[in-house]
Amino acid sequence: MKSFEYVITDPVGIHARPAGILVKEIKKYASTVTVAKGEKSVNALKLMALMGMGIKQGDTVKVTVDGADEDTAFAAIQDFFKNNF
Amino acid sequence: MNDDVSQFHLFMEGEKIMALDYRKCAEEIAANIGGGSNVISAAHCATRLRLVIADNGKVNKAALENVDGVKGMFESNGQLQLIIGTGTVNKVYDEFLSVTGASAASKADVKAAAASRMPLWKKILKTPGDVFVPILPAIVASGLMMGLVEALAKAIPSFADSGWFGFLDLVANTAFALLPILVAVSAARVFGGNIFLGGVIGMMMVHPGLMNAWTVTPTNQPAVWDLGIFKISQVGYQGHVIPVILAVLLMSTVEKWLHKKVPEMIDLFVTPLCTVLITAFATFVVIGPIFSILENWVLKGAEWLVTSTGGIGALIMGALYPWTVVMGLHHMYNVIEAGMLSGALGLNIWMPIASAANFAQFGACLAVAIKCRNAKLKSVALPSSLSASLGITEPAIFGVNFRFMKPFIAGVIGGAVGALFGSLTGLGATTYGVTGIPGLLAINNVPIYCIELLIAAGVAFLITTVIWKEELPATAPAAAPAAAAPAIEAPTVSVIRCANGVVLQPVKGNVIPYDKIPDDTFASGVLGVGVGVEPTDETVVAPFDGEISSVAESKHAVGVSANDMELLIHVGVDTVNMNGDGFTCLVKEGDRVKAGQPLIRFSRAKIKAAGYSDTVAVLLTNSDDLEGVEIGAK
Repeated sequence: MKSFEYVITDPVGIHARPAGILVKEIKKYASTVTVAKGEKSVNALKLMALMGMGIKQGDTVKVTVDGADEDTAFAAIQDFFKNNF
Repeated sequence: MNDDVSQFHLFMEGEKIMALDYRKCAEEIAANIGGGSNVISAAHCATRLRLVIADNGKVNKAALENVDGVKGMFESNGQLQLIIGTGTVNKVYDEFLSVTGASAASKADVKAAAASRMPLWKKILKTPGDVFVPILPAIVASGLMMGLVEALAKAIPSFADSGWFGFLDLVANTAFALLPILVAVSAARVFGGNIFLGGVIGMMMVHPGLMNAWTVTPTNQPAVWDLGIFKISQVGYQGHVIPVILAVLLMSTVEKWLHKKVPEMIDLFVTPLCTVLITAFATFVVIGPIFSILENWVLKGAEWLVTSTGGIGALIMGALYPWTVVMGLHHMYNVIEAGMLSGALGLNIWMPIASAANFAQFGACLAVAIKCRNAKLKSVALPSSLSASLGITEPAIFGVNFRFMKPFIAGVIGGAVGALFGSLTGLGATTYGVTGIPGLLAINNVPIYCIELLIAAGVAFLITTVIWKEELPATAPAAAPAAAAPAIEAPTVSVIRCANGVVLQPVKGNVIPYDKIPDDTFASGVLGVGVGVEPTDETVVAPFDGEISSVAESKHAVGVSANDMELLIHVGVDTVNMNGDGFTCLVKEGDRVKAGQPLIRFSRAKIKAAGYSDTVAVLLTNSDDLEGVEIGAK
């Protein structure tokens, strides 16, 4: 299990469209990706739950990657956050 | 693989729910938030227990998450929200209230949320009922007692002079004479103000230093304080309702506004001080005079109607009378009655009109008591109707008839018909201050008076029985959706169909496939397949019976789930940038919705003005996991 923290810089935060792209990215890997903000955490594959978090610009999220391919997935997803959020 | 795992989790959670000890869960929650004294308010929605905590330092978050039954927790909007689950949260909530002693009155949060979906006029009409329902026990008791004591005093003149009468009358009329205090406290709770400050406003309005409003006559006028710029009449608001509600509404608004603006350090003395002062001035300088002008008009108008226009006047007054009770203007009618008795006729022809109006409210309330199936409503309606039959109609009007409106209107009609009959048959009373059954002791023609009462109550009773239908709780299964007065009409066209169910068209307009939505992301299918709707209307309704799984902060998108279908309804393209301007979201996360229920209202003009497409994306976000997905209007 690996995790990283990230501060959202995208002005609209993780809303429908960015959330959808994230889901698509995560589906490439077998690992389970969890996104946590404060006390609340969700499986990032659950688009609705992810949007329900209301993650905004300036929020710090903790992303956890857990599974057989977590090493490759971790690097890719970390890059993905930097490039998209 | 993933699906297997999540189903396994679901199964495990199901086991946990069944075995959950609600009491224990509530006790553990209470123990980990610093006990009941640390709870400012508790409410619950479909899945969560929502707590407002006084001192967050006393909350043990780690321990809370491990409480059996708590599936998750987070803080939002100043609330500590514990996810407990549908069908369970209400039971834990009930136990939580009993464990902590927190008042169920704080359910007002939930009610307020529900009320915010109502049109304004409905909210206004609903307010007196909301205020009155909690104080009903007090005024039902007093109303019955007052009716009986006054009837006895009329029947046995020696009783009226006895110490017994003096004492019992005091006990009976306390709640009515000081009604503004009860109303103010209850109203402060409804409007979210401090109930003790509300109490102060109520007490101020019936302060012993002011002249009792009931003793005001043309010759006995209250003194005036001259403050230079304006004058304040030294008269109380005994028996008033509406001015008190208005004063407390103002107070609560001022208080909440000040709480936000005043620095915390000085909040405790600045806010209450300013709140009470501002409200006091506004009440006595603005609200008070408006009502006293109104009272004078009503008084003069009523007197003219009844004495100069005969039967028609009586008919109109019979219809208007209950409205004046709602306004709290009826306490001054004694002046008219006294004037009639000392006048040329020597007969009080006002009393039969008031009696018809009051007895009609009794009839309407009795009809509700008999027809309703809700045990709680029955238990309120029955004693309220008895009290009304004795001439004290406030419990019946505010607690029952006015709340549902139709019985009140039925009472208005019954009162009008009864009053017309009374006027045409020359009814009159030889004294004043009594109506309804006790009026038998004061009337000039007992048989005719009985017929009048029967007509008034009978008409109101029949109309109420015919037009009033009990609103069943939302959870009750609608036996025949077509027959059950569909306030909510489900759309008839489906836009997405799959093995798990059907998605109805959530907004009127031209349906296009998702790959024609003018946005690369939506069109690519990343967010799932579905359709776009080029709207011709500005309301998004629920596409199936389900639960609101997410609401965008900027109110332009909503997620609805049911039967493993996760649907995203996204109004417009890039509209997240509008930050909610032009959008009204009518639901919140966790709400249960029925197909056709409005979810979002939006302004096409504003979206256009912002330079975006208003195409509504309707996408099944988990379409990959569903079988037989088919899109297009059908």
